[in-house]
Amino acid sequence: MTSSRSITWRLIGAVLAVEFAAAALVISLSWGYERHAHFRAFDVMLHGRADSVLGAVQDAEDAQDNVMLDTADLRLPSEDIYEVYDERGRLLGRSANWSGSGEGYSIAAKDGFVRRIVNGQHYRLLRAHGSRIVDPGEPGGGTLRHVTVLYGAPTEHVWDAIWHAVAVYAAGNLLLLLVTGPLVAWVLHRGLAPLRELAALAGNVSADAWEFEPPETARSTRELAPLTHALESVLERLERAFIQQRTFVSDAAHELKTAVAVVKSSLQLLGLRTRTPAEYQAGLDRCVADTARLEDLVAKMLTLARVESAATPASAPATCDVVQCVEETMREMETVAALRQVRVERTAPERANVPLTVEDCQLVISNLLLNALQHSPAGSQVQLNLTVMNDAVELRVADHGEGIDPALQPHVFDRFFRGDPSRSRATGGAGLGLAICKAVVEKPGGTITLASTPGQGTIVTVRLPRA
Amino acid sequence: MRVLLVEDEVRLAENLAAALRDAAGFAVDWAADGEEGDEFARGCVYDLVILDLMLPKLDGLGVLKRLRARKDSTPVLILTAREGKAAIIELLNAGADDYLAKPFDLGELLARTKALIRRGKGAAHPLLFAVNVEVNTLEQTVRRAGSLVDLSPTEYRILEYLMHHPRKVVSKRELLEHLYDYNWEHHSNVIEAHVSNLRRKLDAAESDAMPVIETLRGRGYRLAAATEPGHDE
Repeated sequence: MTSSRSITWRLIGAVLAVEFAAAALVISLSWGYERHAHFRAFDVMLHGRADSVLGAVQDAEDAQDNVMLDTADLRLPSEDIYEVYDERGRLLGRSANWSGSGEGYSIAAKDGFVRRIVNGQHYRLLRAHGSRIVDPGEPGGGTLRHVTVLYGAPTEHVWDAIWHAVAVYAAGNLLLLLVTGPLVAWVLHRGLAPLRELAALAGNVSADAWEFEPPETARSTRELAPLTHALESVLERLERAFIQQRTFVSDAAHELKTAVAVVKSSLQLLGLRTRTPAEYQAGLDRCVADTARLEDLVAKMLTLARVESAATPASAPATCDVVQCVEETMREMETVAALRQVRVERTAPERANVPLTVEDCQLVISNLLLNALQHSPAGSQVQLNLTVMNDAVELRVADHGEGIDPALQPHVFDRFFRGDPSRSRATGGAGLGLAICKAVVEKPGGTITLASTPGQGTIVTVRLPRA
Repeated sequence: MRVLLVEDEVRLAENLAAALRDAAGFAVDWAADGEEGDEFARGCVYDLVILDLMLPKLDGLGVLKRLRARKDSTPVLILTAREGKAAIIELLNAGADDYLAKPFDLGELLARTKALIRRGKGAAHPLLFAVNVEVNTLEQTVRRAGSLVDLSPTEYRILEYLMHHPRKVVSKRELLEHLYDYNWEHHSNVIEAHVSNLRRKLDAAESDAMPVIETLRGRGYRLAAATEPGHDE
């Protein structure tokens, strides 16, 4: 988890980042809202207080119908500041803690708020116009006097309130973040438990122990089901391949050891006692023949390994003419056929190309032909028919030999399988010929089948795609 | 001694049979598959069965199990090319007496064969003693009262067989079955001639001694009772 990338940590990180962004948004929004709300209330309060100050503007009862500010009944917070001018610019009154705005009366100045620093404190000032009617009982409705009130209060408390509210939001979000981290980690840990279980089970699988029984939780989890299924099928295929390989190695070892045992015993038999030169010569001949069989076995095993290991088709797709291969192989087999007094009859078209190399094609034909010849009684015939179909080429090799026991037929393509061991061992067969044929034919997508009736003969049919 | 060889590899069987006949003087019958081997073994005439493990039709283990199921106690030597201790343990537990892994040494095979036959007859040592007669089964030599007696191979085999069965009445038929394989014609008068020669040679080696081989008319032959204690066991 330290050096590699961890899904858990990435998910926790993602959740926390999203949460952090959300918290930042909430805090900034709340800051804006709180500021708006608090200052609205503050402004309403300023208006109210300014109105109180306006209410304290009284008739001065003088000849000029002037007005005056009577502060006797004013109850205002001590840090608030105010001043009142009349329309002539005369200062009617001012709070004791202020030296004044210095701007006097200006009819042009509109109502509104200004910011000021007074006595080192931030103030919000409201400029409000008001009017008062002096002597309303007189004819003409009295005299209208305009006054301007400047009223300010320190904003420090407002800001305090705003920051306090924001701090509460921030603390709440921080707490949420702190709780979320471990909570998400715990939830993920629990949620990923089936995955760990699966990994532990898969880790137990080895070449000697293929048992893999995925837990029901892994099978029923939608995210894990594909992985579980893939693991199961991969292991199944691997096990099959492994067992097949092990069987082959064990069979090959058995065959090789037996062949070596023959050579060794032949040599030791010769050395058991003193013999005549003629006996030695005969013994040596037998040893050479035994060695030749060993050589043949090794060559066939290597051929099979070569054919099977080239799993993918060659880069340059090979093609060859089966008709030509058949002719060539029949020429090579002439002596064997003559020796066994078997006649080979052939029917073939002009040409038939298949996706095999000439070498592999001849390998198949010679193996099938040799089998047929070896199992044919003297004086009989072997039929070799080659037919071209729509998209395939079919090669049939039929003999009139003793046939194969139906119980053994399913195994004829198995490696090292011998229908009649003592007989085919005597003829030098290693039981690999048909296995080699099968491997060669199936590589380009062909098929090979065998049909045999005991007492009547055997027919091997090879079907290859046309090239 | 008569040995049954069950081995499907023709050339190996030929070599083994030749070695057993030539070097050990045994009669050898060869079966090429398990069924045939089982059939041969039913006659109960063998002193040893050499059994290949990988056999067609019926494998070596199957032959062995059938053999032991019939309460046949003939010693069995297994030839195997298979790896792995598990198979060997299974074989020994199924009643095999010994095994040899291919490719084996022919000399070792012969030595084990002789040892198994010896053990099967209840003798631990290759030297057999009875009635002042000493038989060395390794060198295939016979001494009567210390002096060497020159015997033909068949005479030697008859004596060795009788030495392995002291005080038992051995019929001509039993001798025939154990001394010859199926390739020989069975004529009891051949045995009579050989026994007569054997007795003559043995008695000539020590004058005024009692005969080594008793003839029980119509029943067979028996090794004479020991006169000198310590020499017949």
